[in-house]
Amino acid sequence: MNSFLRKNFIVIIAFAVMAAFLIAAAQGMEKKDFVITLLRGLAVGSITFLVASGFSLIFGLLDVLNLAHGTLFMIGAYIGWTVVVRPDTFVDLLTPLALIASGFALGDVYPLLASRIRLGSSMRRILPWALILVSLLIFWRILPRYPIAIWDVENYGQSPVTFAFMADSGTRLPVLPAAFTEVTMSSALIGLLLASIVIAFGISLFDTSPRTVKLTWKNFIWFAVALIVAIVGVVFNNAMTDYLFGLNSNWLFFVAVVVATLSGVVLGGLMEATLIRPLYSRPIYQLMLTLGMSAIGIEMVRAIWGRPEFVMSKPEFFNGGGEACPATNFADWWANHCSTILFLDGRVRVYNEIFIPLVGLVVLVSIWILLQRTRLGMIIRAGVQDREMVEALGINIRRVFTMVFALGVGLAALGGVLAAPSSGLSNAMGESLFLNALIALAIGGLTNYPGAALGSVIVGMIQQFIIKYGQIGIPIPFTDIVFKPTPPLVPASTVMLMVIILLILPNGLLGKKE
Amino acid sequence: MKKFFSANRGSLFTLLVLILMPFIVGLFDGASPATVFVNGSGQAKFIEGLAIEIFILAVYAISFDLIFGITGLLSFGHSMFFAVGAYLTGIAIKSFGYSLLPTLGLIFVGAVVQALLFALVLPRVKGITFALVTLGLGSVFHILVMSSEMGKYTGSDVGLQGVIVPDFISPANERLRFYFVMLVVMILVYLIYQRFVNSPTGRVCVAIRENEGRARMLGYNTFYFKLAALTLSSLTAALAGFFHTLYQPIVSPNVAGMGFTVTALLIILIGGVGTLNGAFVGAVMYRLLDYGLRRYIGESASFINGAIYVLFVLFIPYGIVGTWRLRSFEIKQGWERLLKLFGQ
Repeated sequence: MNSFLRKNFIVIIAFAVMAAFLIAAAQGMEKKDFVITLLRGLAVGSITFLVASGFSLIFGLLDVLNLAHGTLFMIGAYIGWTVVVRPDTFVDLLTPLALIASGFALGDVYPLLASRIRLGSSMRRILPWALILVSLLIFWRILPRYPIAIWDVENYGQSPVTFAFMADSGTRLPVLPAAFTEVTMSSALIGLLLASIVIAFGISLFDTSPRTVKLTWKNFIWFAVALIVAIVGVVFNNAMTDYLFGLNSNWLFFVAVVVATLSGVVLGGLMEATLIRPLYSRPIYQLMLTLGMSAIGIEMVRAIWGRPEFVMSKPEFFNGGGEACPATNFADWWANHCSTILFLDGRVRVYNEIFIPLVGLVVLVSIWILLQRTRLGMIIRAGVQDREMVEALGINIRRVFTMVFALGVGLAALGGVLAAPSSGLSNAMGESLFLNALIALAIGGLTNYPGAALGSVIVGMIQQFIIKYGQIGIPIPFTDIVFKPTPPLVPASTVMLMVIILLILPNGLLGKKE
Repeated sequence: MKKFFSANRGSLFTLLVLILMPFIVGLFDGASPATVFVNGSGQAKFIEGLAIEIFILAVYAISFDLIFGITGLLSFGHSMFFAVGAYLTGIAIKSFGYSLLPTLGLIFVGAVVQALLFALVLPRVKGITFALVTLGLGSVFHILVMSSEMGKYTGSDVGLQGVIVPDFISPANERLRFYFVMLVVMILVYLIYQRFVNSPTGRVCVAIRENEGRARMLGYNTFYFKLAALTLSSLTAALAGFFHTLYQPIVSPNVAGMGFTVTALLIILIGGVGTLNGAFVGAVMYRLLDYGLRRYIGESASFINGAIYVLFVLFIPYGIVGTWRLRSFEIKQGWERLLKLFGQ
């Protein structure tokens, strides 16, 4: 006990100081304000945690500082919005994406094909580039003409802002289904499939290391899955669109969360496999690459969804109104689905301040179980400690890298789609949140999983308390002056806290000493 | 003497081109050298302006190259070095009515003070944590500049404007003189940096980048060497900020933000990390690309900027100058083969 005290002296003092601040903060305001601010702090902390935890998993295992994490959070939010407001776009996109993926799903078959082709060395060098060029030409011909029902950023009446506004007021703009006009359906589909196979073959030709592949039906499973998705997407296009449009907003929101998270997982996996992997020997360049990726991501979001901010409507389950609202107890709330609930005399917004922290808690626990109780988690924890040793034990750590990167980006996208109804969508939402997550991680310990949760909650709390005190003011003792923190102090305070904590404890509150 | 000329053929040629450039551009535009000399409006004046911006960017980028490329300290708060110079100059001239020389003295003091501030955290944090702490310090400065309390001096989020520049160097009427002053400053900075990197101190800085533990084991107190690099870098960046304020009508608060650090990173990545003249090449490429893209493509220019950035990282990691140095032998051979082909 004594040695524990001595070892963690500074950490205990830090916690004591923070607890003292919390108590002091509680003295200055009424009970209902305190409860609401505490809950809001938890909500902001939960969203921050979803981004920070993925970031810290990636940094811990891969040693990659993924500076594009905030951008991926934003992309998750925008994808979720698209599924909720324009499900037809989502359905239309299924087929071309599945067709493009189908060629790459055949990855193991190409080396066999390549070994059958006998070519001179110069032809062998030219062939992959020629194949890639041909397939890019086909893509360039077909993809711009492929009909996808989409909004028009330039035209205000058809812009995402208008769609979001109409969806929020409970009506929908009439949406015309897109149809094949300039290309016929069969030629577009077959062309995409062929181009995808050709480009995948071309890329696989770059890898000249000899491999022995035994063909079984297993090599074709993913190809078949992609083809089936593509065909279903084309044949049942209208039926699926109608079904999704007719869906109740709770289920639609659920679908949006699932789709956004899955697209985050896929994006993360692709990013690791294609861009990050070649650069493991040059860590600084990985950092610069992710910086560039974040700039590209923001520009893509601006090009597709436009610059103006808009909001995503909350699902009905949390958006009830009427006579009985705000609800006074839980049974009352369950009956009416009020958007607010009275809790210790304060009006608490159910979605923002109860649902989001609950999801945060669920994710915290499930990732904790994944890390502590499963084989994959064991490999990840071992990899964080000593990567080479894990590799030496015969574990394919490259695959684990891809999985962890995909998982981290998926968590960020989940955070994005959850934050969309409460904080709205804007081009800048990623950057500000990412700075928060970075501060939270630095406070809690960069690679420490509980540290990520602790740091996120601390950052959320401090920001919310300072915002609240900006409204009511802090009376400074022995004077008549009331100090009101101004908005710039909100980010500045957390940044200063980070700098102070890093100077005293360079590894953060819970990080291990090297 | 002859040896000096043959060893520095490339640099001297570049210098000559830079000196003659306004007049040559003027001739193409149909303006006589005399018109260019008295700053008549025309294409020459515009090109001078673009070149001045490039020189300022190059001086700023070379200061980042010293601490990132040579000493190996990744700082995300580097834009603060530049912004402190820019804002101090603006405030001193506008609000306190200083003349140029005392202002220069003031920003030198400011630059040394902020280098010491960064040095305060140096021995405690390393690597990524150093990057985070500097990011924190930089964003606190950014927030301070943007805050409404400081608005009287810094102009908060509109930017600092209305700085009255002395007539003899005003960018509107005496742009040619400004151009040559900036050219001389850039060359001086480059020579000083060259000398610093080749001095024993600079060699230790390179050793710190390669392996700090080993440099320490050899008996060097690495802290002092890092501090020296940081101070020199801070002085140079503040100098770049000084000229930025004199040249630009508005100092936007963006120069204090994270994005401007990324600009420096991008420039030295294009030019070549750790090669001092890469900063100049990178600044030329960056500014011209940015200008051209914004002119012909418009808003989505930063998308292409980001794409170029990613492509450079993946395929030309040593930058233009770095790759040139690595391949100079092959390039020379290929050149000779080409000449032979024409000779026969």
